Amino acid sequence: MEEHFKDDTFLARWVAGELTEEELEAFKKSEDYLKYFKINEEAQKLKAPKFDKDAAFNNLIQQLDENNENKKVKKLLPNWIYAAAAVLLIALGIYNISHSSTRYQTDYGQQLAVVLPDNSKVQLNANSQLEFSEKSWKKTREVKLKGEAFFEVEKGESFKVLTPVGTVEVLGTKFNVISRDNYFEVRCHKGRVLVKGGQDIKTILTPGKAVRIINAKKEEWTFSKTKPTWLQGEITFNKTPLEQVIKALENQFGVSFDISKIDIKQRFTGGFPNKDLNSALKLVFTPMDISYTVKDDNTIILVNKSNKYKEAKENQ
Amino acid sequence: MISRIRSVCEKKNYEFLFKTHSESLRNFIYYKCGDLQQAEDIVQDAFIKLWNNCAKIIFEKARSYLYTIARNAFLNDVAHKKVVLKYQASTAKNITHETPEYILEEQEFALKLNKVISDLPEKQRVVFLMSRIDKMKYSEIAEITGISVKAVEKRMSQALITLRNKIGNI
Repeated sequence: MEEHFKDDTFLARWVAGELTEEELEAFKKSEDYLKYFKINEEAQKLKAPKFDKDAAFNNLIQQLDENNENKKVKKLLPNWIYAAAAVLLIALGIYNISHSSTRYQTDYGQQLAVVLPDNSKVQLNANSQLEFSEKSWKKTREVKLKGEAFFEVEKGESFKVLTPVGTVEVLGTKFNVISRDNYFEVRCHKGRVLVKGGQDIKTILTPGKAVRIINAKKEEWTFSKTKPTWLQGEITFNKTPLEQVIKALENQFGVSFDISKIDIKQRFTGGFPNKDLNSALKLVFTPMDISYTVKDDNTIILVNKSNKYKEAKENQ
Repeated sequence: MISRIRSVCEKKNYEFLFKTHSESLRNFIYYKCGDLQQAEDIVQDAFIKLWNNCAKIIFEKARSYLYTIARNAFLNDVAHKKVVLKYQASTAKNITHETPEYILEEQEFALKLNKVISDLPEKQRVVFLMSRIDKMKYSEIAEITGISVKAVEKRMSQALITLRNKIGNI
């Protein structure tokens, strides 16, 4: 009856109820069974000392706030990347780069959460760049954005987002900005947002309203989410030019598309999950009647399946 | 087929992680050292590190991360004091029909058991209490202590044998 000493996991399995009927019967007949039974019974009545979860959480938040005030912004990239980026941006003649500015860059498929000196929060979507100056933050809240980000701005003096195509100015609110080559889109989630761009384009957005500037023309529409879907793993589009949808796929998955055989000006309404490339391709291109083939070097060739494209061209 | 990416940096997710794991994490360290203050400090530090690294941690891996940080923090604390564990008073009221002598025996047994558990080697003690008090499965204990399920079962069995030997005659 001393079997439990030969099998070094016997007692553990007994406690977990994993013994066979025979093993259990045999064990019950052993001398020590009652002792083990009693030890196990008593032990299960034990309770660890009380833990005040809410108080502990409040202490934690307080500590985090204190740390945040003393926090120095961390560099997330090795120094040589700053040198390369600096050369590129100066060459474009768009920005003035000072040595005291802070830069964040996300990679393909990456998202990053950033807290600004005044506790405003920015979530960067894939392949995007955010830049601001910590030193001048107290005087002017201004960030430069290339790519896509969702902003939650603390109330205060004006807060500006500068992009190559347009500017967004807010007083304290939540909004999503997309700024890619020649494409600019702003969605207001909370508060009021002033959008300026192109030549003389000026719009004030209220929650649920969005505006995009394509080829210097303004398009407005309404949407109904409180937070952008890309934060939850899905990227959605509303009558968005296919060109931008394809760019979003490229940024998310790090692939490139050969678009020479399709009409990228078509509009797309729908969405794709940002973790699954195969689903994404299906969801975007099947409704558009476009076939896709993957070449070896991560390039995807798109071909318009029907003759609609040819006909459209011929009818122009 | 939509997959959700939950960011640890989103306050509601971070809070959820705290509400879910803080108590058992605190217990885990408490069982190791018997010092409530030390346990609470280590838990807070672990969650602070979680926040500071939130962009790099996958939500589903947060528990593993927290316990690893806590274990390492504990290893760094050199002072190993004698462990005396205290438990909340048992509120079992189902023995009112028993004799006073029986009740006294029960209480003595409980006291003895408490002492003997505190005297268990740390590895056995932690596994035993995570199983009996926090009701964790062996697979969960394996994940948070960083050892195999078999190793957990061995430690659990050893704990029971040690307890039975030390508790003497009942």
